[in-house]
Parts: sequence; structure tokens; C-alpha cells
Amino acid sequence: MKLITAIIKPFKLDDVKNALQAFGITGMTVSEASGFGRQRGHTEVYRGAEYTVDLVPKVRLEVLVDSAEAEKVIDVIVKAASTGAIGDGKVWSSPVDNIVRVRTGERGVDAI
Amino acid sequence: MGTRERRERSDLVDRELSILFSKSATEHLENPKHVALSAVGGYGRGELAPGSDLDLLILHDGSNKAESLTEFVNAFLYPLWNSGRSIDHSVRTRSETREAAESDVRVATGLLDIRFVAGNADLVSALGSDARENWRKNYEKYLPNLRAAISERSNRSGELAFLLEPDLKEARGGLRDINALRAIELSGVVPVALDRVAAAEALLSNVRDVLHEVTPKPRDQLMLTEQDRVAEILEFSDADALMLEIAKSARAVDYVMDLTWHRIDQRKSTPWFKKNKVVQVTKGLITEKGELTIEPDYKIAEDCEIGLRAAATAAQSGIPLSIDACIAIAENFSPLPTPWPRSARENLVALIGAGNEMVRVFEALDQEGIIEKWLPEWSHVRFLPQRNVLHHHTVDRHMLETAVRAAALTRTVKRPDLLLVAALFHDIGKGFTGKDHSEYGGELIAPLALRIGFSQQDSEVLALLVREHLLLSTVATRRDLDDPATISFVVEKLKDPEAVLLLHALSISDGEATGRTAWSDWKAGLVSDLVDRTLAAMSGVKPLAEPELASRIAQDSEFAVLVSPNEGSFEIEIVARDRTGLLSVIAGVLSISRLDVRSARTRTINEQAVMKWIVTVDANATMPSQEKLTDLFMKGLQGELDIASKIDERINSYRKYPGIPTPPPLVSAMNDIATNATVIEVRMHDRPGVLFSVAKAISRFGVDIRAAIVSTLGAEAFDTLYVTDLAGQALTEERAKLLANQVENILSTHL
Repeated sequence: MKLITAIIKPFKLDDVKNALQAFGITGMTVSEASGFGRQRGHTEVYRGAEYTVDLVPKVRLEVLVDSAEAEKVIDVIVKAASTGAIGDGKVWSSPVDNIVRVRTGERGVDAI
Repeated sequence: MGTRERRERSDLVDRELSILFSKSATEHLENPKHVALSAVGGYGRGELAPGSDLDLLILHDGSNKAESLTEFVNAFLYPLWNSGRSIDHSVRTRSETREAAESDVRVATGLLDIRFVAGNADLVSALGSDARENWRKNYEKYLPNLRAAISERSNRSGELAFLLEPDLKEARGGLRDINALRAIELSGVVPVALDRVAAAEALLSNVRDVLHEVTPKPRDQLMLTEQDRVAEILEFSDADALMLEIAKSARAVDYVMDLTWHRIDQRKSTPWFKKNKVVQVTKGLITEKGELTIEPDYKIAEDCEIGLRAAATAAQSGIPLSIDACIAIAENFSPLPTPWPRSARENLVALIGAGNEMVRVFEALDQEGIIEKWLPEWSHVRFLPQRNVLHHHTVDRHMLETAVRAAALTRTVKRPDLLLVAALFHDIGKGFTGKDHSEYGGELIAPLALRIGFSQQDSEVLALLVREHLLLSTVATRRDLDDPATISFVVEKLKDPEAVLLLHALSISDGEATGRTAWSDWKAGLVSDLVDRTLAAMSGVKPLAEPELASRIAQDSEFAVLVSPNEGSFEIEIVARDRTGLLSVIAGVLSISRLDVRSARTRTINEQAVMKWIVTVDANATMPSQEKLTDLFMKGLQGELDIASKIDERINSYRKYPGIPTPPPLVSAMNDIATNATVIEVRMHDRPGVLFSVAKAISRFGVDIRAAIVSTLGAEAFDTLYVTDLAGQALTEERAKLLANQVENILSTHL
């Protein structure tokens, strides 16, 4: 079982959501985030002070998947979230020990 | 590594960027000749470490369409981002840059290093001169921000000289601080001794270059795991040798930074017409522009004591010693005789006892290698790192910090001079492999003490203190204090209650200087407990001995004075018929004759007072003749001199310099069974007329002063007076306490 986490541009959320649903993912968690990468949050034609590092608003998306599908899901998200400009974000996967569905008590892969 | 390599690396990058820039401009812009690429910051200085960022400023004049500009910048930057280069950029017009510089001191300082790389050269040079002019004109606005930034950085990243794993760029004394100093220099507000940091910059840059090559991801923090490798590449004998050089460099930078801010503050506090006021302070020394320096044309080489005198004066006045003075002393150094003259030793003690101010003065002298000349034992511990978690500072700095704290505890011991000297040298035995540092320290300090003029007995006490400086904290935390054997053990080692008190003060100072990791309230409490038990176990208190006095003058004289020179000072013997107020008058007359009392002993037997005074003459005064002095005494005794107001005048004129905070005066009274007198002990920071005020207060109280022992140790005045009531008996405890309080109040309010 894997947790796929994605940090994407906020306006790309709908595209990613639709793509994941089309793939067959039935659940996800979305939260607001902010951050920066190698460009320190500067746009291309940045006018501000050098040496500042700006936090840019992002969206965090989290999806639990079966290990076999992890790589495919990552590809789906990357394709949908990409604009080609700086600030597109990152997607990564981490191993999950256990999952439980609260209402039914199902555990493990059954709870995905 | 090395300046040339850094320059070559920078040139290579210039070429690469230049090509990419021109290509992007031609392909996307309507007016490709109206943009420029410039480098700022480190890259602007033409110095690139392997992992350095490229700080770029893309300039344009607004003549290109916004969309074209965006396309052009993208075309230039994306390949660079994709190649993994670390870029920090902005895109601005000349006026936008001016605005940014006005509101952000980092932009303003970064622009000082601006350098043309590609495109329209005129754009860049216009901006460069804008930047420098702006900086020079508006430094008043920028300096507080710069200072705050430096201080915030120092708090965040610590001190390069003392950290185990320092950040070469961000820590205090590191590369960013050196840049800040350069910026301050460019502003023209005060002169900055940049030549003294040139070597430091070279070393730190080289270390940084090597560090970038050695670590997988370039970073500026020199971790313990990398230190060996870096040391090897740079051909140091080992990691400790490398860290020592780094510490040395950082200290040099720190020192120049400290001095520069002092000079800036000085500028602000003195109005322009007073700026060059020169004031004679003492023999050979003047203050100028808020710094202590040496009189022009003074024959330094003929005065071996001037260095110590300068150091003590500077520290006690709370002003720095000028770099010029330090250099002059170093270049014209004449060694002190063995043993040191008393005044030299006293100046050393006064220097150490100045507390916090001492550190800056000591550092200044250390930078010129003068400390080592006076005290060769010091060279071994200079910049010596302590590679363990307990200690934050290098060994030498730790001992200084210990001495600073000891200066606050001088009231708790009878021999503050011994406490201060022990504090300053307690770890002198560190850094010798295979030797226990306490034991070896004890061995080193005994000859040192003799050399600087302490008596054999004193040097033995100092050796004991250094040898056993860890005794109290070790025993208190590791042994059972309830077991009498533990207490006996300590009593055997120390033997003398005075030694216990000295060692207690030393332990507290050492602990506090080491910091929270080694010293806590709990530990302090345990040590205190041990001290109390030890003192209790030591049988009785040593009886206070009244001074014995013999004089060359006939014992039955009505009033006779004999003045004789005595090794740079003067001995004044007085025999007189005792009367109320005699001591205060004599003390007062000496004070207004500008004679500093170094020590004195007085005794009254059968209505005759015998006094022996050792005095030195104030720098700007001459010693009065025996006749003149006798005449003054007589006049004083007859009430013809207004001693009190003259002394007040003298006190007021002394208060020219920012003094240093000193512990308040302490007056204690206790009854001595052996001599059937009340003993009043006065301890305070020396100033003119102390004895006069004390003696006057006491005699007004209606008591007789039977004997007095007066001494000045360093900058501390120490007066012990044996007083009785008019019937010749000791005072009641109540009265004695009252007297002590009154005297203390008088002394405190008069400060």
C-alpha cells in the first residue's frame, strides 16, 4: 500500500481531480499548502528583492493506492498538473503500514 | 581553490551566460540592445566557489514589450534552471532597482558589487554609480538595518570562532561579516581596518571552496565529519590545526567588526566640534575619539610598563584601546624585568578585574601578539579548540569569560587579586597531550606568579587554586556530603578557609563561563553546601592581626613627617599625637595633593599615632616636598583647608569617561576578641578620597580609630579599620552594625 502525495498549483486542482477519477481513484484528501523550490518562489520576471525566499500558495493532494498502481497514479497526476512553467510542484510516494476504514472496520488493501 | 581558481571559474561562467543571454535577447526582443546582464553579490566580486549561487540582475529600460521580455527571460533562465545551477535573479529597470535598494538593505549592499556580464554596458555602469552614490549618501538610514541584520545573523548562526561545526558564511566572523565590513568601508562613514581581515577572507574562502568539492551537496557549514578531509586537502597537520586557523581568522574579523561599530557609535555621540578633543589620562596615554591611545612622540621603548598601564586604563574606563596603540606597543616592545614591578602587576590585576570590558582590550592586545610577549604560557592556549560538547568557547576565550565573572565576585574574598589571576589562568595546562590539565596548570602557574611579582606564599596559593579548580564541583556532585570523610578530604587539600572561599568563587566563575551544560542551580547549590560544611569543619577563624609598626621617627614627636622614595613610589612616615579626625585629615591631604594611596598601616599606642603610607604620584602632578607636605598636614589639622570640597572637585573631574559598572561598596563590621576592638572592613572600587570619606564618617560617629590597614589591589580599595568607643572598648554589636551601614550609605551615595 502506498501514499501518493502531490504538491500542485492551485488552479490545476480540477484537472488533476478529473484525471484521477477517470483513472478509477475513488478517494483523495486535499489541503492548502505553501512552499517554494529551486527558484525560491520567484516568477520569471521577478522584480522584488534578491535574497528573499517567497512562499507561494499550493495545493496538497493525498491518495492511498495499491502498491502495484503507485507508479501509474504518479504519472496520471504529473501529466494533469504540468504547465511547463516553474512552480509546477512535485509528486512522491511513501510506504503505508496499515489502513482502516472507520465505518466498517475493513483493514489493509480492503480499506483502499 | 585560491583566488585565481575562483576568478577562472567566474570567467568561465561569464562566457557561458554571455552566449546564452545574447542568443535569447536576439531571438525574442524587438530591441535586444536595451537589456543587460549583471552579476551582484559574490559572483559580482568575481569570486565563485564550486557550489556558489549566481546572483543575477537582468536590467532593461522598458523599451521592449512585456510579453517579449517574459519570453526572453524564460529563454535565458530555463536552461540554467534545468542544468541544476542555483540562480538567484531579478528583472528590473534602473528606477525599479533604486526603489528596491531604498527599501531593502540587502539589495543596496548587493548592488555595491555589481559587475557587467553581457548586453548593454551603459545600463550597468549607470546602475553601479547610482548604487554607490545612494549608499554613500544614505548610510545613516542603512546602517541600523545592516547592524540589525548582522546581529540577527550572529544570533542565528553563532560565532565562527567558537562553534564545533561552524557555518563559514553566515556565522559571526565569517564571510558575510567580511562583506558587511567592506560595505561599511564604502560608505565612508568611518575608516575600517580591512587589511586585517584580508588574510581571514583568503583562508575562509579557500576552506569553503574545498568544502564544496568534498560534500555531495555544497553547503557552507563545516561539519565534524568533513573536517579531517578538508584539513588534509589544505595540507594542515590535522583537523584541530585547521579549526585553530579558522578560529584565528574569525576572531580577527570579529575584532574589526567590534571596533568599527564602536567608531560609528563614537561619531554619533560626540558633536563635531568636540571630535578631536584630546585628553591626557595618565603617563603617556591620551584619549582621542573615544579610544585610548599613546601620546605622540612618547618614548614607548623606554617604558616597559606602558602596555599594561594602557590596558588597565582602557578596561577600567570602558573604552577600547586603539589599534595604533597596540601596534605601537608591539613594535616598540620592551620586556618587563623579572620580577615585574608592583605597578605592572597591579595593572594586570586591574585589567582582569574590569569585567566585560576586559575582553575587548585583551582581544586587541592578543591580535598584536602582545599577550604572548608578557605571558609566554598563553601562546599554547590561544585559539585552542575544545572538542567536546561541554564547552562552547576556545580555551583562551573561556578563561577570559571566567575572569569576567570572577570580577563580579571580588567582594566575596579577601584577596581579589589572587582570584582574578587564578581565574585567568585556570586552564593554562590544557592542550598538552598526556598531562592532566589541572595538575600541569598548577605546575605552570607557580613560576608565572613569581615572575609577575607575587610572593612565594601567594604563588603557592595560586598553584593550589589552579591545581584544585575542579575539586569543589567534582566532590560536590560525586561524593556523599554527609560523610565526614568527604569533608576531611577537602579540608586536607585546602587547609585554609580563605583558600576555600577563593576556590568557591573560582568554581562559580568557571561554571558560569562554561554555561548551562556544565553548571546549574542544582550544582551551584551542592557546591555551596560543600563550602559551608568545609568552613564549619575548619577549626575557628584566623585571628585578625593588628599591624606592627616601627618607625624611624622619634616616637614622642608632636608631629613629624618623613618622606622617602621607594621603588617608583614614595613612603611617608608620620608620627603624631593622636586626635579625633587625624586619619581622615591625613588621608584627605594626600588625596588633594594628588597622591594615590597604594597601601598604608597606622597604629595608635598610648595617644601616639604611627603611620606608614606608600603613595604614588598622579601622572600630571609632582611630588610635594617634605616641608610642603608637613605644612599642609598642619593646616589641615587646624581646619584651615577645605578638604571635603576639594576632594569632591577631584571626584567630579574623574568622571569623564564612561565608567564600567562595578559592584557596590561593601562595609562589614565584626568584633575581634583578640584585640578588643571592632573591625570595620571596607571594600569598594578605588576612587579619590575613599579613605578620607571612610575615616571622616567613622570619626563623626564618635569612635576612635586605633589602627588601619589600607591597600589597593588592582582597582579595588581595601580598608580595614580597628575602632573602639571613646573608652577604648569594642563597640556593641548593634552600634557596630549601624556604623557599618552608615559608612556604606555614605560611600554608595557619593558614587
